[in-house]
Amino acid sequence: MANELKYEWSLAYRVEHWVRVIAIAVLVFTGFYIHWPFITGGAEGAVMSWMRFFHSVAAYALVLGLIVRVYMALNSTFDRDWKDFSITKNLKDLPDMLAYYLFVNDTHKDYRKYNPLQALAYLFIAALIIFTTLTGAALYKGNAFGFINAAESFRWVNTMLGGESYTRIWHFLSMWVFLIFVGVHVYMSLLQAAVNKDKTFMSIFTGYKLKKTS
Amino acid sequence: MGEKEVSKQFLEAFEFQGIKRREFLKFCGATAALLGLSELYIPKIAAAIEKAAKRPPVVWLNFASDSGCTEALIKATYPNAADLVLDILSIDYNETIMAAAGKQSEEIREKSRKAGGYILIVEGGVPTKKGHGMIAGKEMLDILKEMAAPAVAIIAVGSCATFGGVPAAKPNPSQIIGVTEALKKAGVKKAVVNLDLCPVNVEYLVGVVVNYLLLGKLPELDSFGRPKMFYGQTIHDNCERRAHFDAGRFVERFGSNEEALGYCLYKMGCKGPMTYSACPKVQYNDRVSWCIKAGAPCIGCAEHDWPDKFAGFYNRLPDVKLPGIQATADKIGAVAGVATAVGIAAHAIASSGRAKKAGGEK
Ligand code: HEM
Ligand code: SF4
Ligand code: SF4
Repeated sequence: MANELKYEWSLAYRVEHWVRVIAIAVLVFTGFYIHWPFITGGAEGAVMSWMRFFHSVAAYALVLGLIVRVYMALNSTFDRDWKDFSITKNLKDLPDMLAYYLFVNDTHKDYRKYNPLQALAYLFIAALIIFTTLTGAALYKGNAFGFINAAESFRWVNTMLGGESYTRIWHFLSMWVFLIFVGVHVYMSLLQAAVNKDKTFMSIFTGYKLKKTS
Repeated sequence: MGEKEVSKQFLEAFEFQGIKRREFLKFCGATAALLGLSELYIPKIAAAIEKAAKRPPVVWLNFASDSGCTEALIKATYPNAADLVLDILSIDYNETIMAAAGKQSEEIREKSRKAGGYILIVEGGVPTKKGHGMIAGKEMLDILKEMAAPAVAIIAVGSCATFGGVPAAKPNPSQIIGVTEALKKAGVKKAVVNLDLCPVNVEYLVGVVVNYLLLGKLPELDSFGRPKMFYGQTIHDNCERRAHFDAGRFVERFGSNEEALGYCLYKMGCKGPMTYSACPKVQYNDRVSWCIKAGAPCIGCAEHDWPDKFAGFYNRLPDVKLPGIQATADKIGAVAGVATAVGIAAHAIASSGRAKKAGGEK
């Protein structure tokens, strides 16, 4: 059984991934600050202004990144992968993958690009981005994209969650879900790189991954 | 009696009370500013109020509340209580301040109801549990229902009347609700102007009434029935401490140097960022001061679902209540985060065990 390098991630996929990473890092840091300002500004400072500014900029990046990713899934010239995200198919295969990760089985089936746990996790992250964006938009008092009066247009989110205090709590808790995802995600890719020795971890930098040929 | 005559009488009444025309115009000026009108409107406002020497009759109902709004009303400077009660409005019925009592007062209310055409001002929430809120043997809900129908306009003043406020806070044994909801329950279809605040800012009330006298209609309302002219922006948008917020300068503790310097009260639980009201501009008591100027964080009293859906006065966010658990969002996040870290570590150890096993088998 030989292994050969396969070009798994085109430049567009990698750029989108790293935009997301930076955006989430910025959102978590600035979000924590908005939640509980831990740096005190001096006489001339504008700490909170900057935090809120970068929070918004990163929020735009995250949302636009998701839109680009959805477009690529549907219409990429490199890898049109929307079929990989079929919920029914992935749910059917999920037990196989869970059995592997929970040490019930020592092997698992081969999957094309994403294993079922991965595919479902990424779908979940897309939903989480939408949820965080909606709650964030409901907290926003300015004009989104310059023309959408966020407070008016997204007041229904506050109504649904039981008031703006609760929108803030949900928004804050969704940050923790992002953090937990990032932790597990990085662990899983390191794990796969260590166990399968297939350069998974490096692939998101270089684009190349080792695949079994047979 | 011609209109001129009425005007003259009206002014004489002012003189009689020792209130100068100048003062009256000052009040009109303050009202114009409040309504966002230019100075050109001052004579128009004066004329509208004078014409209303036919003074729109007002029926003021007191339900479940501490009468703080009535208190605010009679302590107001512009207009002072005398102007307001005797000249601008004809407050025909207000249990707390009228001289009549008992049967006599019920007769006055009945007379007003038959005559109709009054502005109905409601203070206090409406108890819906039978026997929990009665006046002269009548359920408050029924009084509201019969008084609402002949009214030309209904104004709910203060957070009790708008959405239930403090009397409706959990566990709400009297099942108190706000006027809008109570009217819906009673099957009366009528717009209600909600002047949500605890207590109502009398300048808002006068603004709505003068606006009505000027234009013959109620102001534009937001989705909670609050006039957009007073509830269009957050406290935070216009707060005098906003520069400190933007700069990141916060009060961490009362009694500290930061407090003395007038820093932002965000970390002391200020609800200014989620509360819509013109408090920073209009202020209280003839623009002498208001909550944040006085050094207290905004507690969000202008908002729907206040106080239940808001955190404690000095907390930023309310606790999360799950069955059997009550914790801050911070705690929940931290526990979930630590649990994940522990899970990852355990999995990593188990995986290395599997790798060793696989290596051994080879
Ligand atoms: C994706 C679109 C997002 C939008 C539109 C958004 C918007 C906002 C806004 C408007 C606020 C309130 C800021 C203020 O009061 O001035 C806020 C707060 C916050 N955001 Fe976001 N955000 C987004 C994503 C995120 C993400 C991904 C995270 C974390 C991973 C995050 C974490 C936070 C936190 C922790 C707060 C403080 C909440 C509080 O305690 O009140 N946000 N966000
Ligand atoms: S005191 Fe409250 S309303 Fe004023 S700037 Fe600070 S957080 Fe905003
Ligand atoms: S500043 Fe806040 S707490 Fe004070 S009256 Fe206005 S809304 Fe109520």
